[in-house]
Amino acid sequence: MSRADVVGIVGAGTFGTSLAIALARAGREVVIYTKTASVAEAIRTTRRCPRLPGPELPASVAVVTDARALAAAARYVVFAVSSTDAPARLAELGGVIDGSHLVVHAIGALVGDDERVSVLIERATPALRVGVVAGPARPRDLAGGEFGSMVVASRFDEVVRETRRLLNVPPVLRVYGSHDVVGVELASALAGAYTVALGLADGISIGPGPRAVLITRAVAEASRLGEASGGQSKTFAGLAGLGNVLVRSGEEGDPDYELGRALARGEAIGPERFSEGARAALAGVRLARRKDVRMPLLAGLAAVLSGKMSIRDAARLAADTVAAEE
Amino acid sequence: MASDRPVHEARNRLEGFNADRERVLGEVERRVVSRLVARAAAGGDDSLEYVLNDVCVNELKRLGAAHEKTGRWRDLAGRLGSMSSAELEEELRRIVGHFGRDIVGNFDPRVYRFATRVMTPGLGFLMSPLSSLKGGVAGLLRELDSRVQVEGPLEVLRGIAELGTLVVTPTHSSNMDSVVIGLALERAGLPPVTYGAGKNLFTNPFISFFMHNLGAYRVDRRLRFELYKEILKEYSTVLLESGYHSLFFPGGTRCRSNMVERHLKLGLLGTTVTAYANNVRAGQPQRRIYIVPATINYRLVLEAETLIADYLAETGQRRYIITDDEFSRLGRIFEFVRKILVHEGGVVVRFGRPLDPFGNDVDDDGESRDRSGRRIDPRTYLLGGDGEVTADDQRDAEYTRLLGRRLVEVYPRETVFHATHLVARVLYDAVCADAGTRDVYKLLRLPPGKEIPITAVIQGVGALRARIAGDRDAGRLHQRVAAAGDTAVVDDAVRALGSYHSTPVVERRGDALRIGDLELVYYYQNRTAHLPPERKPQPTTTSATARPPGSAAAAAAAAPKEAKA
Repeated sequence: MSRADVVGIVGAGTFGTSLAIALARAGREVVIYTKTASVAEAIRTTRRCPRLPGPELPASVAVVTDARALAAAARYVVFAVSSTDAPARLAELGGVIDGSHLVVHAIGALVGDDERVSVLIERATPALRVGVVAGPARPRDLAGGEFGSMVVASRFDEVVRETRRLLNVPPVLRVYGSHDVVGVELASALAGAYTVALGLADGISIGPGPRAVLITRAVAEASRLGEASGGQSKTFAGLAGLGNVLVRSGEEGDPDYELGRALARGEAIGPERFSEGARAALAGVRLARRKDVRMPLLAGLAAVLSGKMSIRDAARLAADTVAAEE
Repeated sequence: MASDRPVHEARNRLEGFNADRERVLGEVERRVVSRLVARAAAGGDDSLEYVLNDVCVNELKRLGAAHEKTGRWRDLAGRLGSMSSAELEEELRRIVGHFGRDIVGNFDPRVYRFATRVMTPGLGFLMSPLSSLKGGVAGLLRELDSRVQVEGPLEVLRGIAELGTLVVTPTHSSNMDSVVIGLALERAGLPPVTYGAGKNLFTNPFISFFMHNLGAYRVDRRLRFELYKEILKEYSTVLLESGYHSLFFPGGTRCRSNMVERHLKLGLLGTTVTAYANNVRAGQPQRRIYIVPATINYRLVLEAETLIADYLAETGQRRYIITDDEFSRLGRIFEFVRKILVHEGGVVVRFGRPLDPFGNDVDDDGESRDRSGRRIDPRTYLLGGDGEVTADDQRDAEYTRLLGRRLVEVYPRETVFHATHLVARVLYDAVCADAGTRDVYKLLRLPPGKEIPITAVIQGVGALRARIAGDRDAGRLHQRVAAAGDTAVVDDAVRALGSYHSTPVVERRGDALRIGDLELVYYYQNRTAHLPPERKPQPTTTSATARPPGSAAAAAAAAPKEAKA
């Protein structure tokens, strides 16, 4: 098989593993790269990933523990590690790939100094043909054969084209294309933040009316930030933004949603317990300040997370500000 | 040291250009015709009939009904529908050949030698007639050397000029730029470059002779049909592939506002990727293309008055091509050269470090480095899934966009500030602070003749200098500015700004500086526009706190803090 037809996946987490399962079942050639020898060993011997208990990995999925082997086997690479590991893993990847690789990431977070991951890829690796995938394709759905969709965004048509050629395996995964890298990355990161907000709102039982207001206003304010940052305002209303929020809010076990519920129960939550979404809320507020964009909902959530405001005060303030604006 | 003579001089490849000219033209014609024929065969809107019709329609529109040359185009437009594909192809070939010849330059080594050894003293004579009579030619050359100052990693550039093709990409402020950059390259021991110059420049008697014979090719910006752009780009591509060092002004036309360019025209810049891809495809990946950013920094700009007036004109009235400016008047050029270039370092050309066509840094050995400093093979950016070179225009356009982004980052950093820029900025800030707005249109409606206390200006210049010195990305101070005291910098700027333009831009009035032309203050301060204002104009409710109106010193006092932030 041609190297061009191989999907390389960096990271044997829940997303990487479930994507590998969905692709392999559809006949794609997949190579997963994990640094952790025990995980690789477990996959090889049991065909199961310890981080995604349940579904079996088809025999065709290869696992390697040497990044060089991944770079040699695949020209197309999905970067799917946790946001906290991203900088270190990118530095490592940068040493083995070259300008011919296409790299898309699946990280719904801003990293380091509130930066978009595609920017980090350009800086840390020789790859310039980069992109992002995001959307309501949950690991359990990918592995369970349910319908799911994602959007791929890249400035390069080639990356969009190749992503659709390699990752589009309907009905389990449909991939849509976009050029709005900034919009998709911000939407995907902020979706986590609003998932925390919805967990919090559901935890205090706000009811369907206010809940609908919360979601629609979230789309509005996130769209403003996206536009101010050079993205398209409509992107947040798509798969990466609204699509993600809708699928994740209400999802038991979603770390962002659960964190919101814990906040609602009055648990004291320090930064060490912050989820990706909680960090995204703080990053989003900093970004909004720099871009001079008003984001009352996100600001309210950030104030609660940093213990500066009670839930009730934050909710009232956010509601008043939202109402005053319109 | 910037003023040292080069250790070695890079080879002048243009010397062989005349012998090579027919090959270059033939290659352009062959490629453009075969590409368009292939596209036409693919169907859709790309039929040859459509391409030729576009030429006819645009030429008829441009020439106007009365013009004698319209007959040819009217005739062709009438015949298009009934022509066979062989006839269409033949007509296309004729037109491509015609415009190719219209574009192509000349290079006359004798003129080049004349220009660099004799014309430069000629310019020197204009600059300083008395000393030229005393000092003779050698003295003049020395004098000239001190006027156009050249800075940057010159030894590195001389080295890589032997390894690949240089594409010098300077900022563009003045029609003097092509002369100045020619002198700068010569002084730096860098090879001469070929470049596209607006066809209107060739009508200037002073300059056209040299342009014609120094490797300049003609770009006729009145020709708006797609085929012309295609021919122009192919010409540039073939030149680059053939190793002819080139120059593009990525800003397109002269910058009207005098702000360091942020929006680039990527068309010609894109030929760097295309040329490199062609080299790789031809099995010559070692024939690299190096993009060399440069800034040309004038103490005063010849055409400042026309340019800023055009910039400030209401949108839609701006002129893309200006033919009746200061540059068209010979007397004005003489005056400019005498008054401006008489100052040592009156123009500073500063070269930046080279980049590859993908926007990557290039090291001293001419090898590409990624953003993390790893040595990388630029060829890999052109490869497809199985290691073959693939053709992908959209991909290459993105690479060019990345390259443009790098250039836009580099320009402000490599900008050199003269005293005129600093003093104009301080004056403009004072006017803005006083009026409570930075909107130039509002400011221009204020009563003229504003006076700013000279002590405030001196203090403001000190603060601005500190701010620039403390911020590597802001730009650099001219060596003389860095060495002089604040008062001397202000005096120097007032002398310059008061001497050349039709009305004195600034004049000393007792203990104050009187602004005589706010448009030009704005123009010269715009060179510093990438340095944000010290403080955002705040809503009056929150920030009416202690800041006396009109106090430049108060505004400037915040500067060092800002610089660190």
